Amino acid sequence: MSKFIKAALASSVLAASVMGATAAHADTASADASANILQQVSVTNTADLDFATIVSAPTGSTVVVSSAGAVTCNGDLVCSGTATAAGFSVSGTTGETVDVDVDASVTLTNADGDTMSASLSPSVSTILLAGGDSFTVGGTLSVGADQADGAYSGSFDVDVDYQ
Amino acid sequence: MTFKALKNLSKTCVAFGAVLSAMTWSVAPALAAGDLLVAPTRIVLDGQRGTEVILNNIGAETATYRISLELRRMTAQGRLEDVSEEDANELEKAAKAMIRYAPRRVTLPPNQPQAIRLGVRPPQGLADGEYRAHLLFRAIPKARSVTDTSRPAGGFTIALTPIYGVTIPVIIRQGNLKATAGIANGRMEENQNGQSFAFDLSRTGTRSTYGEIRITKPGADDPLLVARGIAVYPEIGQRKVSLPLPAEIAKQMNGPISVEYYEPNNVGGGLIAKTDMVLK
Repeated sequence: MSKFIKAALASSVLAASVMGATAAHADTASADASANILQQVSVTNTADLDFATIVSAPTGSTVVVSSAGAVTCNGDLVCSGTATAAGFSVSGTTGETVDVDVDASVTLTNADGDTMSASLSPSVSTILLAGGDSFTVGGTLSVGADQADGAYSGSFDVDVDYQ
Repeated sequence: MTFKALKNLSKTCVAFGAVLSAMTWSVAPALAAGDLLVAPTRIVLDGQRGTEVILNNIGAETATYRISLELRRMTAQGRLEDVSEEDANELEKAAKAMIRYAPRRVTLPPNQPQAIRLGVRPPQGLADGEYRAHLLFRAIPKARSVTDTSRPAGGFTIALTPIYGVTIPVIIRQGNLKATAGIANGRMEENQNGQSFAFDLSRTGTRSTYGEIRITKPGADDPLLVARGIAVYPEIGQRKVSLPLPAEIAKQMNGPISVEYYEPNNVGGGLIAKTDMVLK
């Protein structure tokens, strides 16, 4: 298929140059040109949701990373390192309305099968595209009492919906 | 002597070239694997039997994408809600059964577009109506290594991977369908992201309505705000539309305004509904 697209592009360039040449010689000339312009959307991931490093405590509590990227370490938990909210940029036709749809929560698991959960909150739910648009996703991580050490990982879905 | 000069020159050129390419590399944005571009952003098949969607890898690395057909239902808030296989109604099942598409999984190097072919085969005696499913394009994330040697003793680290993508509606119309819409209850609302203009958009008839909202002050030539891509799907008779406003437009949102709902230009650009209202 990509070969087809390349071939189509190449032939349109050729056609344009031929048409240009004809127009230079003839007094009157008419030509049909057609192009199918499609509206496009692109989504790029610019930052990951990162709670940095957390040291567990005898009592459970939460760590909040706001959609602006500010970290709040509650209870007796100790947080270190730089936390970030997940960042995405969206580009499409100016004036188009798109919805941002993010999973409400995510479960994190370490190599030993211990789990934690985090609730997720996007910075916006609807974007009116104006060029250079972006949104972020923050979260609230629930850390259990004496949560087992380890590297926890999980994944969550983020969709940009067109109506 | 001349030869030596030439050799020096070529060395300089190579060095310059290397510097240039290094500069180009550092200038290139740090894109994550899985970034994607999709075109078009909406498909309506009214008698046509198929079309194509372009998927392009705009990331810096090779990525694998999965294309799937999902069911979504519009809520009264205007959001699209996931519908699981078990909860699907007859209309949704029929939509999913008649849409064929391929490929469903593609691995693309950076800047490599791929056409996804889409065909519709309506069964014999299909009842008139609007059938809809949503095409979901998502990158499959690369597996991360579980062992993280840099983690400090007595603590834990967290790696959350976003799986992100785009959904576009695929709408199939069977028979001669009609719909009308109405606009009411315009109001200003405020949340943590600033002000927005909200109103109720109602719909009657046998198909969805789709188009752009234009908000105009009396006497002004150009609309204050244009929001394209607003739909009311057949499963609901009324939805809320909430448009986030930039501060400079929010300031002008007072007194009499006119809210109009137009069809997109490619289907005639006709007026669907218009309401004049006075904002407090």
